[in-house]
Amino acid sequence: MLIAPIFAQTAWWIPLYPFVGMALSLLWSPAVIRRTGPRPAGYVNLIMSFTALVHALLALCVLWQQPAIDLSVSWLQVAGFEISLTLEISSLTIAAILVITGLNFLAQLYGVGYLEMDWGWARLFSLLGLFEAGMCGLALCDSLFFSYVILEILTLGTYLLIGVWYNQPLVVTGARDAFLTKRIGDLFLLMGVLAIYPLAGSWNYDDLATWAATAEVNPTLIALIGLALLAGPMGKCAQFPLHLWLDEAMEGPYPSTILRNSVVVGTGAWVLIKLMPVLTLSPVVSAVTIAVGVVTAVGGSLIAIAQIDIKRALSYSVSAYMGLVFIAVGTQQVEAAFFLLLIHALSMALLVMSTGSIVLNNITQDLTQLGGLWRRRPISGLSYLIGAAGLTALPPLGGFWALVKLADGLWSTYPLLVGVLLLVNGLTSLSLMREFCLIFTGAPQQMTVRSPENIWLITLPMTITLGLVLHAPLILLNLGLLPDWLTLNRSLAFLLVASTMVGGTVGALLYLRPGKRQPVQLPWRSVQDLLAYDFYTPRLYRASVVFGVDVLSRITDWFDRYFVDGIVNFVGLASLFGGETLKYSNSGQTWFYVLTITVGLAAIASLMSWGFITHLFGTLIH
Amino acid sequence: MQLQYFLLIAAALFGIGIYGLVNSRNAIRVLMSIELMLNAVNLNLVAFSNYLDPQEIKGQVFGVFVITVAAAEAAVGLAIVLAIYRNRDTVDMEQFNLLKW
Repeated sequence: MLIAPIFAQTAWWIPLYPFVGMALSLLWSPAVIRRTGPRPAGYVNLIMSFTALVHALLALCVLWQQPAIDLSVSWLQVAGFEISLTLEISSLTIAAILVITGLNFLAQLYGVGYLEMDWGWARLFSLLGLFEAGMCGLALCDSLFFSYVILEILTLGTYLLIGVWYNQPLVVTGARDAFLTKRIGDLFLLMGVLAIYPLAGSWNYDDLATWAATAEVNPTLIALIGLALLAGPMGKCAQFPLHLWLDEAMEGPYPSTILRNSVVVGTGAWVLIKLMPVLTLSPVVSAVTIAVGVVTAVGGSLIAIAQIDIKRALSYSVSAYMGLVFIAVGTQQVEAAFFLLLIHALSMALLVMSTGSIVLNNITQDLTQLGGLWRRRPISGLSYLIGAAGLTALPPLGGFWALVKLADGLWSTYPLLVGVLLLVNGLTSLSLMREFCLIFTGAPQQMTVRSPENIWLITLPMTITLGLVLHAPLILLNLGLLPDWLTLNRSLAFLLVASTMVGGTVGALLYLRPGKRQPVQLPWRSVQDLLAYDFYTPRLYRASVVFGVDVLSRITDWFDRYFVDGIVNFVGLASLFGGETLKYSNSGQTWFYVLTITVGLAAIASLMSWGFITHLFGTLIH
Repeated sequence: MQLQYFLLIAAALFGIGIYGLVNSRNAIRVLMSIELMLNAVNLNLVAFSNYLDPQEIKGQVFGVFVITVAAAEAAVGLAIVLAIYRNRDTVDMEQFNLLKW
């Protein structure tokens, strides 16, 4: 027991393990160690992730029901200004780290199986290590400034991670869009971060909360700052209108998709939750948060139904669930937001792992080319079902409790939002059921005629995650974290379950009925296309922001090239032209030179004696 | 008011010299125009010396110098004209435009 507190005191080592893993992995780049292949890169990362996981587990045991430990290191001290790196080691942050490291470990194990035929392990695994380190750092970090720093590093990491297979053109454009879209959000966040310092005088979340409790500031000012602070998480969480990147990020490798869909999008939500005291200062910001969440949740779940790419269908569900987290933050339900994040991370990781297992040996991601896999792929199918049940409101799994808690908090203040919740839950059930039916039921198609279950490296992490999803409610119950059933609004719970049932049944009816097989057509073709093409968001971007910036940059380029450069070049050209033309004054005729001399002399003489000449003429006239 | 008339005559002579200088095609006539101009100067000097400095007549001393120098200059000028003539067989100033741009 003497040694136990050390694990909590040294919890700040946890981000360092994967960081070391990142550095070590790079040794097995094809250009460094040329002979023995890339596999040790993955193993090193696995060991490091596991170390971090064990450390986090031990630290959590020590910290449970204990007060938080605050650590602070001065990072930069310049005249009258100090930036200190503040860490908060509490049971909540360590629990978040536990989720992060756990899912990372599983995803990396999955990656070892999935990337069997790939030589680029060093790059991929070092980036996974970077992400793990960054996310653990973000969870520990108690300073808005350093949260921003880590978010930016992770944005760069996203760019590199999506662009792992950079010989594919869609990967390059996807990585570009992911970087720029998230960067725009981050830049707005930076404006907010910079603008809040003069007001609050500190960047520590605790100080911000204390400040916000008694702050009296100009409502317009705080609304603007709040909107800027909101924009960062909006980009990170793939909320409307900054959501296209997540769709295009699906070009990246599957193991990283597991992380992205479950944990990475949560980083924005984490910062958003921590900033909640500041955001609630302005009712406008709260309203915008809710509006963004509602639009994304409804839009994302509608779009997910109309996708034919399994990865993309899931990515829009991610946007939708992050929208629910936004709603929770907008209505000041921190616990519901954390709960939703945890449940979403586990269930979505399971869903992505299951579909990845299908994609790995059926090659196609096209839902219309998959089918009839239930009999051959029972474990993947079960995992998918449990993941879907864990995500939507289906008791006794976690999603039910999270959504009930959220709905319960919303009912008294925003009853309309409960309707949105029911709608999103129903639509998500419908889309998940549709995907399940398209992949696992019906007759096998050409791509799925021979489809074996995967090797243990794929299946083991999937089944472990399955176990986590199944046990999550039990664990939370034992820790006393589940909402109290007695005080909950049971009719709401019933409504939520009913919406899941209705959504799932509609999905099953549409896609299981033998007579009417895919592709299902809506009566309104244009609506179906609108949803399938994600409200034509790429066109919207291209017509608005991209067009504007493009035109502006072309004009600037033209101005620079022809006007600014032109002025300077004109000076040179003019002197050249002057020399070329003035040389003809050297006519070679002696008379002409004499004439020049004479005229020059006469001019100088008349100039010097001007006064005398006028005087002379004056006297002559009078 | 005598001096002005002398000066005006000298100026007219100088103007005629300039006209001849810039307008003659014959190189000899150019030299002659220069002589005309120098003589106009001499007229000025003598007139000034007579009306403004009758005691020390420095103008006349100047005039003597100018006449001497003009003689030497005319000799060198004629030598140059001869040298050009030997090479190019002409004294036409319009043929002497070799050193242009």
